[in-house]
Amino acid sequence: MSYLNSTRLHFAGQFQANVSTVNNDPGHFDNATFIPSYQEMQGPNFDPPNGWFNPEGDAAFRLLGCRVTSAWLPTGPVTNDPILQFLVADSDTRVCAKLVDLDSEQQLVSEIWGLQVRITDAQGNTLLRGDYDPAAFIDIWDRAIGSSSGGDVDAGAMYQSVLRNLWWGDVSASPFLMALQSAAVDGLLSIKFNVDSLNLDFTSDDFMCGRIVGTIGPASATEPFHMVMGRQFMAIASPPSPKINFFFPSGGINFMVGVVSEADGCIYLDLGNALSTTKGGGLSDLGDLTLGVYDPLASPGNPAGSVVPLGIVPSQGPTGYASDPTWYTRTAGIVVLPLTAAPLQAVSQAPLLLYVESATPPILISEWNTGSFVRADKFVFRLSPGDPSVEIAVYASQWGQPLAGATINFVPDASQLQPSNNISNDVPPVAVPLSALHFNANAVTNAQGVATLSIKASNPGTPRYFNQGQDYGLDGQVYGIRPAFANSQFSGPVNQWNFISFLVWSAFEVSDPATWDDLQPIFQQYANLYPVMNRFLNLGDYDSVKANARLLALAFSLDVGNANSMPVTRDLSPAKRRAILNWLKNPLPGAKCVAKAPEPSAARPAAVAGERPSFGDHMPKGGKAAAAARRLVLTNHH
Amino acid sequence: MIILRPELVAALSTGGVPAICTALQQALELEHSTIPPYLYALYSLDKNLNREIAQIIESVAVEEMLHLTLAANVLNALGGNPVLNTPGFIPTYPGPLPGGVESQLTVQLAPFSMSQLETFLTIEEPEHAIDIPTAKLALEAITAPVTIGQFYNRIIAEINKLSDSDFANPPRNQIGPDLMFESVVVTNKATAVQALSTIIEQGEGTSNSPDEVVGLDYAHFYRFQQIQKGKKLIPAPGQKPPWIYGGAPIAIDPAGVYNVPTNPNRKNYGPAQLNLCDTFNYTYTSLLKTLHDMFNGHPDQFNPALGLMMSLKSQAKAMMSGIPDPSVITGPTFEYQPTNP
Repeated sequence: MSYLNSTRLHFAGQFQANVSTVNNDPGHFDNATFIPSYQEMQGPNFDPPNGWFNPEGDAAFRLLGCRVTSAWLPTGPVTNDPILQFLVADSDTRVCAKLVDLDSEQQLVSEIWGLQVRITDAQGNTLLRGDYDPAAFIDIWDRAIGSSSGGDVDAGAMYQSVLRNLWWGDVSASPFLMALQSAAVDGLLSIKFNVDSLNLDFTSDDFMCGRIVGTIGPASATEPFHMVMGRQFMAIASPPSPKINFFFPSGGINFMVGVVSEADGCIYLDLGNALSTTKGGGLSDLGDLTLGVYDPLASPGNPAGSVVPLGIVPSQGPTGYASDPTWYTRTAGIVVLPLTAAPLQAVSQAPLLLYVESATPPILISEWNTGSFVRADKFVFRLSPGDPSVEIAVYASQWGQPLAGATINFVPDASQLQPSNNISNDVPPVAVPLSALHFNANAVTNAQGVATLSIKASNPGTPRYFNQGQDYGLDGQVYGIRPAFANSQFSGPVNQWNFISFLVWSAFEVSDPATWDDLQPIFQQYANLYPVMNRFLNLGDYDSVKANARLLALAFSLDVGNANSMPVTRDLSPAKRRAILNWLKNPLPGAKCVAKAPEPSAARPAAVAGERPSFGDHMPKGGKAAAAARRLVLTNHH
Repeated sequence: MIILRPELVAALSTGGVPAICTALQQALELEHSTIPPYLYALYSLDKNLNREIAQIIESVAVEEMLHLTLAANVLNALGGNPVLNTPGFIPTYPGPLPGGVESQLTVQLAPFSMSQLETFLTIEEPEHAIDIPTAKLALEAITAPVTIGQFYNRIIAEINKLSDSDFANPPRNQIGPDLMFESVVVTNKATAVQALSTIIEQGEGTSNSPDEVVGLDYAHFYRFQQIQKGKKLIPAPGQKPPWIYGGAPIAIDPAGVYNVPTNPNRKNYGPAQLNLCDTFNYTYTSLLKTLHDMFNGHPDQFNPALGLMMSLKSQAKAMMSGIPDPSVITGPTFEYQPTNP
């Protein structure tokens, strides 16, 4: 049970993602070469790059003007219910959520931390409040086609998670909310939203804002929280020409999921992050979309003549997805196609596909031939050396049902990580040493289709320090592990984004008692990378830190799930956090107490303009697109 | 000095817990109403260029937050329920302070200036004749305007007529010194008087000293006067009075005052400014709701409230200094806005 359900509401509005960007360049982590201009806004066309497009960002993630656009019950669309005037808002009793990259060299799994989601009446009175489990986006793609900005404004991605700690107000006036409350038997709600059109122009009214369209429904404690146990439509990567920043499906339709419900006599399809848009944000007209099923006797590689149509999603007409400008915000891209008994039987063991009849080039997306799929539910982890093993649930399914007894391989895969240095050629390497990760090479799925990746870390050392390891740099190391079926008959075109990301922290020990000298590099790096902190104190200055020790001790001691947790980037290792908290109790000075302005090191040459690694003359605007361009492998041809 | 409407004190003359609670709710609104103008002036300053002045205003604003807490503690101890989460809790700027005589002082949201400093001095100016007998004060209060100090002294006088059994003990909904530096847990007459005396003395000082009784600084009026006099207040032993504005110079650097509007109005804002202003107001409203919860039995909301204050500080500093777009300067309007459009 998930948001893809007969009881659900849709909402639409804007989101703000006021991420800071000085840390987008791993080269800025080099304290020894950091200069003040790295905290300034980038120049025109990224020249000079300075602190990229939002150096003063505070990582705020906010819901702005989000309204319930429709609601559905098993009986059909909800009418005459106050829910249709209600809002979807973030917290009104604590600070806003934070959007956080895992690492400067893995910026493509940004997580939302500390988000509280509320449903309120039009005056802002709370009817429902729930805490959002931190979750990362997935399936980012070049969604806006025919667009030329070449950056994040063209990108779309999706987030799926659950709301817990539900608090319900008096919802008796809304039959829909009463039904939702009854359906949430496990005290959980499922929430999924699609984000696109993030505006990176600081002179724009909507700087660092974009469109959000989503769905809320009940969740089950026994199902994955960040993915739907359903029918997985798998896109195939286009060749990387013309230029692709993130991903573009060769069939024109992005990864999507469906749920076949015998009980409801229908199939639910989520096209929310699957349909491309025009530059203005309206959905592209791909033509009428037909849901079909391959005849089991036909070859899946040959759709013509062997596909049984099951239903149509019209592009035109009064409710066409392309002709009706409210279609996307009203439905969040969710389509329900009724299925009678015979088709239900037909689809239960054969691949589904969504296509446009006679389109040239073909517009098509389908399940793998075997209807199988494997993915970790949660796919972003932070590990400390010596911590107990983390048990990661990897779900295998076939035809939307748990697949038991399947062997899943866990294979190191750094192809989508983004090692880079835009300042010099001293690029911090990723995924080494691999020996710091200890995990099982494979596991067999249980009756629930779950294979467990059991992983622990030893000390990776400091492989990402600069200047042959002499200068303080990025903490720990990032890694990727991709789950895959051992039996190749279950496999199909791989989703490049479908892997598990890890940040493994370096071991860290300080003298006892610690002095400012022990911790100064940590504080200095934060001061360098987050100019927003200058509004409160100078983190690179002993006196300023000491004067704010009480407040800092509070902020550093909060659980990382707390919206107020410091640092907002969630990239401070527990070992360093402990050292800082101990030191703040008795902030002893050291030899480095006189703050000095960081100066560029003359020892190593900076990259000259035009010779920046990775980017060449296809420099994207500096957001996720820039990170994506740095991946080790840009398209995946597994 | 600021002059309050005589009705405020007149209502107290009925005496007893209900009248005191009504007066304390008015006190809460009055204490809060000074904070937006102080913060607006504070965040209009580039701290690198006007550090001394910023520190003085900030130190006063923080103590106003303590005064809000002390008034709420007394109100809670008497069984009352502080209300901070309603639109009416925030006064309209420009306008009189809550309970203030309308013709006397119009308080504005304005960037720091010597004329705005005059307003601050008026708000904090002491009432020297505090040795007027209580009975006479009560008689006069019905017909004559009263100062903030007199208002609190009248509340203290009524509290002194109560018995200790009128106060909740064990403590009820108190925010103690563990959370708020210099706060007082109110459980009886003595602690109630101590709490309210702290407010008076931090604001006005005592009749014979500008030193705070609680705290290490001078009372607000004298702290602000340092800016007006251009010099720090220092002890002058042997002289009468034994203090002098003769310390290190305090000078305003006009280049260090951002070009924010006086009495900002959402109607005059373009879309980019509106977005910033709306998010600020939504955060501000969230803070009032959170403080309301904190004062009504949820002391665990102290840290979330602190986080919201930090967020407001960060937002205001960015908006007022033209971050991210230097051509867009936005003054927060401090309006009740429970939705973020």
